[in-house]
Amino acid sequence: MENINPKILVVDDEKGLRLGTQRLLENEGYFADTAENGTEGIVKALSEDFDIVIIDLRMPDIEGIEVLKKIKENKPNTVCFIATAYASYETAVESTRIGAYGYIPKPFTPEELIYQVEKAFTHRKLLLETERLTREKEERLLEIASEKSRLNTIIKSLKSGVLVINLTGETAYFNSSVLQLLNINELNLGEYVLDKLPNKINEMVKKYLKLEEDIHKSYSVQIEIYPGELYIDAYCSPVPNPDNSLAGVVVIIRNITEYKRIELVKNQFVSMVAHELKTPVAAVLGFLKIILDPNLNVSEEKKTDFLIRSSHRLEDLLHMVNDLLDISRLELKNKEKELIEVNLLDCINNVIEFLHNEAEKRNININFENNIKDPVITANPSEISRILTNILSNAIKYNKESGNVTINLGINSNYYFIKIADTGIGLRPAEKEKLFQEFYRVKSEKTRGISGTGLGLSIVKRLVESYAGKIEVESEIDIGTAFTIFLPIN
Amino acid sequence: MGIREKVKKILIVDDDIDLLEQNKLLLENKGFNVLTCESGEEAWMLYQNENPDAVVADLIMEHHDSGFVLCHKIKKTEHGKVIPVFILTSATYDTGFKFSASTFEERDWINCDAILNKPVSVEEIIKKLEKYFSI
Repeated sequence: MENINPKILVVDDEKGLRLGTQRLLENEGYFADTAENGTEGIVKALSEDFDIVIIDLRMPDIEGIEVLKKIKENKPNTVCFIATAYASYETAVESTRIGAYGYIPKPFTPEELIYQVEKAFTHRKLLLETERLTREKEERLLEIASEKSRLNTIIKSLKSGVLVINLTGETAYFNSSVLQLLNINELNLGEYVLDKLPNKINEMVKKYLKLEEDIHKSYSVQIEIYPGELYIDAYCSPVPNPDNSLAGVVVIIRNITEYKRIELVKNQFVSMVAHELKTPVAAVLGFLKIILDPNLNVSEEKKTDFLIRSSHRLEDLLHMVNDLLDISRLELKNKEKELIEVNLLDCINNVIEFLHNEAEKRNININFENNIKDPVITANPSEISRILTNILSNAIKYNKESGNVTINLGINSNYYFIKIADTGIGLRPAEKEKLFQEFYRVKSEKTRGISGTGLGLSIVKRLVESYAGKIEVESEIDIGTAFTIFLPIN
Repeated sequence: MGIREKVKKILIVDDDIDLLEQNKLLLENKGFNVLTCESGEEAWMLYQNENPDAVVADLIMEHHDSGFVLCHKIKKTEHGKVIPVFILTSATYDTGFKFSASTFEERDWINCDAILNKPVSVEEIIKKLEKYFSI
């Protein structure tokens, strides 16, 4: 026997036969248990897992057939024999119909019994194997079903649209994002879908379906669904059969509205830059043409003036290019900054020193008031200097002749603040709003002749925000403007 | 310009003082009488006092549409209806802002006689002006 101690139950009311059979089986290496009547037989057979049960047909309490029935009902894989001295054709047929494996007529010889039991045990092993395989198959089917539903759930919850079209142009699969992204009200499985698709997608899919397109190539196309509101990218790929013939086409639809919006902003910015660069170039070119034109009667003095002005325009242009480079550097998100401990006090003093001459030229008095000790933050010192230089130089440039600039350094909850207030021309509310826009410059009689790129404050704002800080501006026309920079205390 | 004709008075408006001075010099050299100013508001005052024979105005000055506003005001006056008003702009790019009049309402509102791209050559301005003055 392959298995050690197959378990056998002998149910017989005849004590001698019961114990004799038990002994015989034990001698053959089986594990054998006994029950002295039908009731006990059922209890034992159902509570333990016997490989084989030998049931006497005639017992005082319950008929062997009933015992067999009960066992088969509950343990269909237990192999049962009916044993009886009253052998008859009918009981044999009846017992095998109910599920007995065989019929042992009494009296039996030990050889007969062992032969039957061995056969039965082989059968039992087959039954168990069948049961195992059935269970495994069911588990697999369950697994496949849950895998399918999981995939389905994933695809359904995708923000991108997934649309599968079969060879006849009908929907084989789609998720609800398809409806939203293509602005389709209703779509059903098996429905002819090509006419509902935007032209560009329709054409691409048709090319595949007509086999005009290589089925190993994918194409994508960008489409405007609602002008200015919804742009999509549709990516069409052929779905091949295992034999490489075409099964259908899958269209993946992505919402690229935000990407398009950024592209538009970028294009506008580039156009603005081009415009801002073109103006000074045009001015310089104009001056040079006038100077070089022999037909124009321009005095030497005037020519020199034009050359000086040209050189100023070019200097401004150079500043602007540098500012633009700074902005583009700031836009690189993964830039590596060298951060060290920066003492704001030193920084402010350095900037005041740096702009000392500018201030003196316009007779502007700079007051610096500070009542905190060692205001240290972790930052890039040149960026902090840049912030302060831009604000302070504006406070000087846009001040009144002989005006004042007051700088305050202090603490406001979690921030160090630096307030730079001037006594200059001030801002109108409308001007204040646009102040941080690229290339915005306040234009008035009073700002005439003040050079600038229109990028300084935009750079300041970007820099301050890169330190999780903020900048506030208060202003009153003809009274002055105050910028307050807040930088978080580490 | 014919010798018998009266010297034409041109009002040019530009907030870029360099370009303004260059155009003034070049137009004067061609025999025009040139008035200049640097903002739309100033130009409106000057226009009312001087009744120029033509106006050439930059579009973006104190506001992004100063040129259009000035043109609109001028064209509302009797004198404005018979003189050419040109708008100069370098902002003809098609992204972001709209600088052309495509609908009837826009044409009605911005009824300038030409929109010229900057940098504009003075020859081009003169050619346009002569076309108007010769009629």
